Amino acid sequence: MLRKLMLVGLAAVMLFGMAAIAQEPVTIEFWHAMSSGHQPNLQKLVDDFKVAYPYITVNLIYQGSYGALQGKIDAAVVAKNLPAIAQVYENWVTPIASILYPIGNFMTDAEKADIIDGLVPSNTYNGVLTTVPFNKSIMVMYYNKSLVTTPPTTWAEFLELAKTLTVDTDGDGKINQYGTAFRPAANPEQFLIFLEQAGGSILNADWTEVTLNNDAGKAAAEFVGSLIPYSYITSEYMSDHIKDAAMFVDTSAGIAYNVKAATNAGFELGVATLPKGPANFNSMIQGTNLAVFNTENLTQAQKDAAVLLAKFLIRPENTVFWAEKSGYQPVTKSAYTTPEWLNWVATHDYQTQMSTQMLNSFSQILHPNYGDMRNVLSTGFDEIMRGVVPPLEGLEQMAEEIEALL
Amino acid sequence: MKKSRKEGKPRRIHPLRLPTDRSYWRETLAAYWYLLPAFLILGAFVFYPFFSAFKLSLFKWSSLNPPGSFIGFENYRYIFHDKYFWRAMWHTFYYVGITVPVTLTLSILVATLLNKGLRCLSFARTSFFLSYISPVVAMAMVWRWMYNTDYGLINYFLSFFHIDAIAWLNDPRYSLPAVILLSIWHYVGYQAIILLAGMQSIEQQYYDAAKVDGASGFQTWWKVTVPLLSPQIFFVFIISLIGSFKVFTEINVLLSGPGPLRSAETLVYYIIRSSGRIDNATNHIGRAAAASVVLFGIIFLFTIIQLTVTQKRVHYD
Repeated sequence: MLRKLMLVGLAAVMLFGMAAIAQEPVTIEFWHAMSSGHQPNLQKLVDDFKVAYPYITVNLIYQGSYGALQGKIDAAVVAKNLPAIAQVYENWVTPIASILYPIGNFMTDAEKADIIDGLVPSNTYNGVLTTVPFNKSIMVMYYNKSLVTTPPTTWAEFLELAKTLTVDTDGDGKINQYGTAFRPAANPEQFLIFLEQAGGSILNADWTEVTLNNDAGKAAAEFVGSLIPYSYITSEYMSDHIKDAAMFVDTSAGIAYNVKAATNAGFELGVATLPKGPANFNSMIQGTNLAVFNTENLTQAQKDAAVLLAKFLIRPENTVFWAEKSGYQPVTKSAYTTPEWLNWVATHDYQTQMSTQMLNSFSQILHPNYGDMRNVLSTGFDEIMRGVVPPLEGLEQMAEEIEALL
Repeated sequence: MKKSRKEGKPRRIHPLRLPTDRSYWRETLAAYWYLLPAFLILGAFVFYPFFSAFKLSLFKWSSLNPPGSFIGFENYRYIFHDKYFWRAMWHTFYYVGITVPVTLTLSILVATLLNKGLRCLSFARTSFFLSYISPVVAMAMVWRWMYNTDYGLINYFLSFFHIDAIAWLNDPRYSLPAVILLSIWHYVGYQAIILLAGMQSIEQQYYDAAKVDGASGFQTWWKVTVPLLSPQIFFVFIISLIGSFKVFTEINVLLSGPGPLRSAETLVYYIIRSSGRIDNATNHIGRAAAASVVLFGIIFLFTIIQLTVTQKRVHYD
């Protein structure tokens, strides 16, 4: 009896002891680039986290623009003084993937499977889910409702409608309303979307060969080439040129600016999923992920706390809250079936299209030179759309320049 | 009689024999002591960064093991074979070649007009200086509107002369001229104020002498004002040349990037892009450092040429 009592007593002491260890106060830094409009909502999420995990204190540290955040992270890597968790773009951390703490190792299979399919490859390093998606937007089709009654659903319809809607409205011999618009230098992702929809990609699966100029690439280049006469080309935001095009592909994150510009111009703006290409109607997801760092300046408790925070932020209720408040899209599949999200969609009709598009998506590749490849695409796509080089010649040039980056 | 140093010529020191008197060493030590803060500041903020940049330019950057692997002059070879580097070089010279002389000429004219004894001189001075003290970002945002193809003020004025609307920010032919126009407007006021201060410090006796000699207004300006203003002209010329070679913010804000077809990408833009700080580009610190060293060499060379050529023409008395 005494022995049993002693055992129970020992177990109780161990349990209390473990609880005491687990609840040892821990403070972590979260570096982000969310500007003032988003900060109260991010703070609310962090406050909720504090309620769920009272022993963890999260210091939100705003680092300025994305470029500034990237610079701070680069400097912190050199100084060996990284925060526990930070917002990161894929290609920022590809060269330093070895010092990332794989969040996926602390997630159940169900939790991992819940992440939107299009987001999994861009968060997986060496076969392990290492980062998790956070603030994500998707490219969708915006259209002027007074000009477009039914948005196009295929490439052929898109081309036909663009042709019909390209007109000289004031009869001065110059076109002043284009069927569509492109921002090729600023947004080369527009070309990557056509490439994906044609079934192509920049590189093959193991990144040993450039596949940009294969048959799918040629189909994409020829299609964008056929759109040139009906396209308004600009480097500026589409909200500054809302009247210049009847329909255009732009990020979901720009909806507030685009709707405001359209309202000021006296028309209503609609949102649609992208027209389907030969292979699919996938669109490209953009935005940052959350990375936890695995460096000597961080204690195990801090890394564990950061993992808990990352997992907390993508819980369905939290990714929905963040999406509703920020304009970004939920990053997990289950979030799209929560009553909160369904209510939100019911009162924001454009969101149905964005949600559908989000579930039919892809992300950037994790090649360490993706930034350089994007530069090549940006310049090459700009040259094609501005008529400096014929589409297929431009495609070959881009492929050649990307080949040199492998 | 032996002369004391205070009264006579400076003492000659034998190159191989160090002086032995203590007063010499005390003075020398004191001089270095006074120079120490300047040495420290220049060393930390000028010389160290420069030599550090040169060192980085010889390495292939690695974030995990900085500065990475030594590759000799490979970064220089890369940039000298990069067509965008040469385009950036051309854009930079195009920008400098127009901005510097035009701004200087206009500021001399503005300073001359302001020096004519305007009643509202202080108001005019403030107005001209206002363009310079306005933050570049705010100013470029205003100019974005002025350059707007459909609603911009500039195209509105051009329409009076039946000139078709120009897509200033969206046409590769006009993007760099648009930046040049903005820069000239920005710097004319600053340079004019410096030149005006110089003009007002020219003694009246020179003008009186010119008047007695029967010089016309233009002759007086050309033969008296301009030569006596040469130190200030030289100063603004050097400052403006160095500043113009480093143009970046105006381009980045006005064009939200390097312009259509990279038509306004200058050397500094190229450097910042190579360092991965904009456009989500890949981080090539070594290449960026190599391009920085080249830019330094260009500015240094031009400054030396200017110093050599203009020194003979600058009148400090």
